[in-house]
Amino acid sequence: MSRQQQDASGSPDDLISLDGVTKAYQASAAPALADISMGVADGEVAAIMGPSGSGKSTLLNLIAGLDKPTSGTVTVAGQRIDALGESALARFRARHVGIIFQFFNLLDDLTVQDNVLLPAQLAGASRRRARARAGELLARLGIDGQRDQYPARLSGGQRQRVAIARALVNTPELLLADEPTGALDSATGQEIGRLLTELNAAGQTLVLVTHDPALATRYAARTIQIVDGRLADGLAQATGAGARA
Amino acid sequence: MSGEESGTRTIAQPGNAAAGPAYRGGGAGARPRRGAGHWLSVVRTASGGVLRHKVQSVVIIAVLFISTASATLGLGLLSASNSPFDKAFAAQRGADAKVAADPARATTAQFAATGHLAGVTAFAGPFAQTTVQVDFQGQPWGPDTLVGRADPGGPVDDVDLSSGHWADGPGQIVLGGTSVGGGGPVLGSAMTVTGLHQPVTLTVVGFATSVTNTADGWVTPGEMSVLETAGAPPSIQLLYRFASAATQAQVQAGMASVSKALPAGAVTLWGSWLSAQQSEGSNAAIMEPFIVAFALIGLIMAVLIAGNVISGAVISQYQRIGVLKSIGLTPAQVVAVYLGRIGWPALVGCLAGMAGGYALSIPVLHQSAGAYGVGQQHVPLWALVLAPGGMLAITLLAALVPALRAGRLSAVTAIASGRAPGTGRGYAVHRLAAGLRLPRPVSLGLAAPFARPARTLVTLAAIAFGATAVIFAIGLHSSLDDARAAGGLTSTVPVLVEQDNNIGTGPSGVPSAAQFAAATSAITAQPATAHENAEYGDNVQVDGIAQGVQAQAFDGPSAWMGYALVTGHWYDAPGEVDVNTVFLTDSGLAVGDTTTLYVGSATTPVTVRIAGEIFYPSSEPRLFGSAQTLPGIATEANFWQWNVGLKPGASPSAYIQAVNARLGNSPFAATPPGGGQFYVIAIALIGLLSLMVAIAAGLGVLNTVLMTTRDRVHDIGIFKAIGMRPGQVMVMVTCWVVGPAVIAGAIAAPAAVLLNTATLHAMAATAHTAVPASFTNVFPVPALALLSLAALAIAVIGALLPAAWAARTRPATALRAE
Repeated sequence: MSRQQQDASGSPDDLISLDGVTKAYQASAAPALADISMGVADGEVAAIMGPSGSGKSTLLNLIAGLDKPTSGTVTVAGQRIDALGESALARFRARHVGIIFQFFNLLDDLTVQDNVLLPAQLAGASRRRARARAGELLARLGIDGQRDQYPARLSGGQRQRVAIARALVNTPELLLADEPTGALDSATGQEIGRLLTELNAAGQTLVLVTHDPALATRYAARTIQIVDGRLADGLAQATGAGARA
Repeated sequence: MSGEESGTRTIAQPGNAAAGPAYRGGGAGARPRRGAGHWLSVVRTASGGVLRHKVQSVVIIAVLFISTASATLGLGLLSASNSPFDKAFAAQRGADAKVAADPARATTAQFAATGHLAGVTAFAGPFAQTTVQVDFQGQPWGPDTLVGRADPGGPVDDVDLSSGHWADGPGQIVLGGTSVGGGGPVLGSAMTVTGLHQPVTLTVVGFATSVTNTADGWVTPGEMSVLETAGAPPSIQLLYRFASAATQAQVQAGMASVSKALPAGAVTLWGSWLSAQQSEGSNAAIMEPFIVAFALIGLIMAVLIAGNVISGAVISQYQRIGVLKSIGLTPAQVVAVYLGRIGWPALVGCLAGMAGGYALSIPVLHQSAGAYGVGQQHVPLWALVLAPGGMLAITLLAALVPALRAGRLSAVTAIASGRAPGTGRGYAVHRLAAGLRLPRPVSLGLAAPFARPARTLVTLAAIAFGATAVIFAIGLHSSLDDARAAGGLTSTVPVLVEQDNNIGTGPSGVPSAAQFAAATSAITAQPATAHENAEYGDNVQVDGIAQGVQAQAFDGPSAWMGYALVTGHWYDAPGEVDVNTVFLTDSGLAVGDTTTLYVGSATTPVTVRIAGEIFYPSSEPRLFGSAQTLPGIATEANFWQWNVGLKPGASPSAYIQAVNARLGNSPFAATPPGGGQFYVIAIALIGLLSLMVAIAAGLGVLNTVLMTTRDRVHDIGIFKAIGMRPGQVMVMVTCWVVGPAVIAGAIAAPAAVLLNTATLHAMAATAHTAVPASFTNVFPVPALALLSLAALAIAVIGALLPAAWAARTRPATALRAE
């Protein structure tokens, strides 16, 4: 069975599995997402694409547990996250999901190091272990020299690196990126794109939302098209880069 | 360039060819709109959304309701405390002189004719009056003077009916004073008049107040014939107002002309209005500093919190203001928009608060009128206008200042100001907090207030005010309780046995030696009697004091009575006396000094040593000693009362009943000590005003945290996205106010102690007394530390609602906010 065919029903080995997910913000309006069923395998890079207002970010929010579906199930890392309460969802996110936002969403009144440390501290990691992990990530991402700086003083690319480090500090199975290069110039965007590819090469599962086909083609093994809240043609489509059967 | 010249095609619209310049968006046939109507329609449109900001509107309404109600009550109390007796005396046409006369000595016409004497401006009477023993629920209610009057009104002594109706039939009585509740008579209660041929039951149909206490109760004139005590001489009451009655000499001159106009012996007793004025005036004077302190705290608090909430509400809209400016609203329109958005809920809150404050004032002023003995008091009309008008003006001013500022800012600056606090603020504190070994939500929360120092300071001030009010209230309650117990000796001397005396100029006659002996025997025969002494009073002359000094002599042990000492000790040796503060002030003496007294007509001076200064509020110098030290005072003519102390567990009311039963028709009667009503009222007011101030402070905190939560909702979304749990969010948000609350508590505790001490000393000064240190030392350090937690309680309670909202908000929803 091809990956495209599997998406209609999902695979038992998928890290992410959505089954019949609908999200409606108002009962009288059209749903933002309608009857989505799809899966993302462990170690895969999948790009969610679609025009503005198609429901891409809504889908990402549901996978991250930032929002709850109106109906259907969302399973991530073997956990039915649509059935979890807010407290359990927060714990789940801290341990299993890292999120990278288009506009970085760093906390301006915390230093770079404190921004990176925060998820580990919230998850209850020991002080020493959290600092060691943060230091390792800052060095790996080339922003060790900015650890005591505040986000306002950093360039866009540096801020996104900080955001990536923060997303990775708890070693999550899944990394979600919502338009990770959307606020960056093309050169910086390519830098970040390469970084994400390196992470995936090391085994990180990555789902990224983008409206840029070139980005999807360059970095994602598979593209999931969403139009008007539905999967296009009901199926996901493999891309050229790293497509897996 | 026309459309054709530029190569574009202008699409013709029907009907607009004659419309002149095209009006974009105006549609076919639209004309440009100008003038006030257009200006207002823009403002109206831009003001839309008040209902969308329900929470903000509700907070504004609630804060202004509490603030205006506090202001209304405070102003009402201030007005009521400003010469209440004088105002009531004028309003009720009080009697300058109340006279007891013998109807057998003159005719009714002769009595009535005195109303036309030169110098008499108004006259009422003659009213039949009698003094009877009245019981309530089987217990002696006391000897009461009852007067027969057909109606409460009249040219003199317009009695103020505070509840029920005037007696209009047999078996009815209107009691003097207000319904005291707490087990005392209420409307419908049955009072039994004893000591008659047969007991007469009277039903309480009303409560009324005579400003000069012309009677303890009123019945119909026809009832009086039933109530006359067998063997008691008949008596009538005459009431006069004179053209000149400002001084005792003038009143005496007026009475002299009345007495001269009547046959000899017709006037048996009379009393001056000045005695009542002095008595009520000293009560009012004592209350005034306390009322002023609390009214000012309430008013300041109301202004501070309303100002904070309103200016914060506008500042929180800066971003929207910037957007409105960017689409073309002028600064004037921006100001109008925001005055409108704030103004409508503010108006609702102010009007509701005025009504609420008036409603609240009814029971409060009812009690204070009772304490002042002045019938009914109301919030004056000027207070009902000033309170809401003033609060609305403050509201609009608080809104105007930031709105004008926003109007002057460029659109970009307004948007930027509204989005986030200035960069760099609080960063160092965050770094410091990150290094602390505290749970991360706690350290994040404690550091957050430093990003908005101005808002934090205002919040701190609100919490400090609220906590100060609460701690001050608790302290003043304790202090006044001590003063009440000490002033009235209510706990140590629960029973007095005294001669019936309902007119303040002196006893109606001196009981016989046998009657004295019978009374003494009635007291000592009671098994519950633990202590007793006889108290005598007379004027003495003291070297260095021009006026006479009222001296009290105790025949028997007196230390058990428990007079509170400011300095020194209670006399315990021959030749020692104790004095009050006025004595020391007038004489220039101090505790330990000796002085010389002249008792009565005795020419032999008595040298005494001042052993102590006692707490005894009075405008006159007083002196206390043993009958042995003050020879000549302890005579039957100077007798005041027996003071009785009971054994532990004994019931004062049962004791009083037993003694009175044994005394029978004796001129003496056992009664409980009176007075202290002022303290009861003050203590009740303390609780009420403190609660209002604390609630207003809590609302102020709620508003601040709500504004901050909304400012930081996006940050809260980030925290949740990276794994902060709802409980951690609540902790973080609550910690925003913990830091300011701890500081506020540290300020409030000593401030409340100082305020309590200052208020108590001010009250004591107006009562012409010093206070024992124990009255102000009501805050043991451990208790004070605990009380300062009031600040934390106010802050945490105020923060709970917005903290819960922040915790409940979905991360995706919060992240969408900008």
